Parts: sequence; C-alpha cells; structure tokens
Amino acid sequence: MNNYYPEANIYTVSKINNYLKTLFENNDNLQNIWVLGEISNFKLHSSGHMYFVLKDEESQIKCVMFKGNNFNLKFTPQDGMKVKVWGDIRIYERKGEYQLYARMIIESGKGELYLAFEKLKEKLRKEGLFAEEKKKKIPLLPRKIAIITSPTGAAIRDIITISLRRFPNLSLLVVPSLVQGTLAAQQIAERIDFLNKYFRDLDFIIIGRGGGSLEELWAFNEEILARSIYRSKIPIVSAVGHETDFTIADFVADLRSPTPSAAAEMTVPEKDKLINTINLLTGKLIRATKRNIEINLENLNSLNKSIKYHNPENKINQYYQLLDEMTIRLKTRINYQFQWLVEKVNKDTQRLSSLNPWAVIERGYSICRTLPDLEIVKKVEQVKIGNQVEIIVSNGKLCGEINKKEVAKLES
Amino acid sequence: MKAKKENAEIKFEDYIEKLEKIVQQLEEGELTLDESVKLYQEGMNISKICLKMLNEAKQRVEELVIQGEEQYTINPFSIHKGEKENNEF
Repeated sequence: MNNYYPEANIYTVSKINNYLKTLFENNDNLQNIWVLGEISNFKLHSSGHMYFVLKDEESQIKCVMFKGNNFNLKFTPQDGMKVKVWGDIRIYERKGEYQLYARMIIESGKGELYLAFEKLKEKLRKEGLFAEEKKKKIPLLPRKIAIITSPTGAAIRDIITISLRRFPNLSLLVVPSLVQGTLAAQQIAERIDFLNKYFRDLDFIIIGRGGGSLEELWAFNEEILARSIYRSKIPIVSAVGHETDFTIADFVADLRSPTPSAAAEMTVPEKDKLINTINLLTGKLIRATKRNIEINLENLNSLNKSIKYHNPENKINQYYQLLDEMTIRLKTRINYQFQWLVEKVNKDTQRLSSLNPWAVIERGYSICRTLPDLEIVKKVEQVKIGNQVEIIVSNGKLCGEINKKEVAKLES
Repeated sequence: MKAKKENAEIKFEDYIEKLEKIVQQLEEGELTLDESVKLYQEGMNISKICLKMLNEAKQRVEELVIQGEEQYTINPFSIHKGEKENNEF
C-alpha cells in the first residue's frame, strides 16, 4: 500500500504553488497572449488597480490590471463589454489562483486595425497633419465642387440631391473611386492629386462614403490618403460614415462632416438665404443712406438759415434801403429848399415890385421932374416960379408952370 | 489673365463683409453727404456683384473619367444611373 503513496512526494502548499508559478511563467503559451471575453464584476480599487472577471458562455478567468498598466486606457471598462485582453497568465501564490495579468485592454472588434489606427493617428498628430492653423477655409459660395466617392452609392445621390436643392446653379464633378478594399485609399489619394493637377478651379473636394464597419471604412484611415489630403491645395471635406465613426481622414481634412448628407448641408449654402441676406443688407444700406441724407439736409437747412442771417446781400440791401431813404430825404430837402427859394424869390419879387416907382404911381403917387433937365423934384427949393415941370402919372404925363411955392413939413 | 486671378481672389464672403461694414458705417451716421453717397454707391455696387455671383455658376452634374496619368474626359452624370447599375431592385 505504502508503495502507492511514497513519502518522498510530500510538498508544502507554498512549494506547490511556487512550482506551478514557475511552470506557468516558463510556458510561452501563457505569456503575451490575447484573451477574448466579456467583462463582468469589474472593480476599480482605490489603489488604482482594476479587478474583473473575463468570461464567455462556458467559462471564466480572473483578471487584474495594475495601475501602471491601466492609466493610459482610452476607455473605462464596464461590465458586459466585449474586450480583448493582452497579458500573461500567472499564479497568485497566496490564494493559489491563476489569473490573467492584463497589460492592455481593447474593445473587441477593433483589434489590430484599431491599434494601427491609434498608432497612425498619434504619428500624424505629432507631425502636425491635424493642426488647426493649417486647415484651409471652405468658401461661403462654392461654384464648382468635386466629389470623390462611389458613383453608385447612396452617398453620391444624397450629396447631389441636397446640394442642388440648396443651390440649384452649382457645378458638381463626380469623381468615381473605390471607397473600400485594399486599393481604395490609394485610388482616392490619386484622385485628389489628379484634381489638384488639372482642376485648380474647384472650390473644394468632398471625399466620402456611407457608414460601415471599421474594416469597411478602413481606406479613410490609411496614411497614403492622409498625406494626399494634407498635400492638397484644394480644401478637402471628409464625409465618411455615421456620426460616431472618426477616421484619420476626418482629422486631416479641412472640414469634417459626419455623413455625406451633412457634407452637402454644411458646405453648400442655401441660395435663397444668401439672396435674403443681400436684400436685407441692401435695404439697410438704402435706409441708412436716406437717413444720412436727411440729417445732412437738416444740417444744411439750419446752415442755410444761419448763412442767410449772415448774408452780405442782406447788408447791401440794407444799405440800398438806407440809400433809398437818404435819397428820398435828400429830395424832400432839395424840394423844400427849392420851394423856399421860389418863395423867397417870389417875396423878393414882391418886395421889388413894391419898390417899383410905377407901382407907387399906380397907387396914386406921381413924379414931378424939371424940364428940360428931367430932374426929379424932391424939394421945393429945386424949382423957381415960372419953371416948366412935368408930372408923371399912371397913364401919362402932365406939363405945367410953377406959380406958387410953399415949404411945408409933411408927416408920413 | 491676371485680372481674372485678382477677381477670383475676392470671395463672396469678403464682399458680404464689406457690405456689412458699409451699412454699419452708414448706420453709425455723422457722415457728410459726399461720404454717404459714395458709400451708398459702393454698397449698391457690391450688392449687385453679390447677386451676380450667385447666378454666375451653371447647374452642371458631370463625371470625371480618368483615362491615364494625364488624360481624362468629362461626361454628363445622372444620379439615377447609379440606381440602374446597382440593379438592386
């Protein structure tokens, strides 16, 4: 009986676990492997280590991911998530449990393509291919657009229909290309280069395709296409897949739109809206100009008033008026003076006429003159008795002889 | 040739921006009659250019067929063509 249970095969627990540990660690099949499964019982310990169970329909394995490995995870693992875990299977001696020591977790389905994507994205970002300041502006009013895509998909139909609905007189150039498969990236890149060579009048180029799996969209994640987009002098609009899918092309493109339809909506303006904008501005222009002219007219009017007030013509007119007044006054004065003169002359004439001896004679006086000397007799002593005299009266003369003399004092 | 190039450099949005600036200048007021009229004429001119630009392009849907490194032809393109070729219905 003893032969069946030889004493030499006695080990301590520590020893056996340590042995197994060595066994596991030396087995290359258990080191650096991918394990597929669904996360359950996920716990993020306060220490920063992650503990969870990876399971499939039939089995499960304990997993641990230490802080030093999980700090640069691009997502937070959650229960139910299908993942691919990369690491080693080792023995946890203290509990005698084997577990998967994870060094990387990626969401399942992304796999190597996803890794390649992340790697290329990082590389191109470092090179500056995604730099915002390098992005070209999409003109507001495109007139000629090229679309590199499959000529038979819904994508091209959507882009054409929406573009022409928004802006009817638009020139669209469809550039057929493969959009999936191994040749697609290179073909799209060549198309971009070709357009840059022969169609520099293009306002921009839309490259795109409808949504699909990561594999189907892969062409838009390839470096050759990224470089062609970056090289293009014509702005590039990426229009790949559905909203949640980002491609390298999206990062390099001058404008990223989530779907082909959105590319048309984002880049082609609505013609009616543009016309409205212009009309609105023109209306504003007319009203503002009118107001400016009115303000100017008002200013002009008040200036005009002020100018009229200071107008020299006014002064001249005033002087004219003064002159007129003066003239009238002068005339009056002259008239008056003239009248005065006339009157004076009249008076003088009257006085003169009153001195006229004939006038005196008219009144009954007479003049006596000696004959033949014709001296006016003023005094008695001038004549002797017997002298001849003539007496002038108003209508003739009388002649006679002096026969009496008498001196008398006549009071007048 | 040079004139054409210079013309192409003035973009629609530049014109719109210029028009907006002119309107703003006029709306802020305190311009002389001369300046107002000058800005008005300039604005109306831009407005006409903009409307003209909107109608410059012609509707055209064409397909580029690349035949070699330097050779290509341009054919009319119909979106219904795709449906027929797809022959999914």
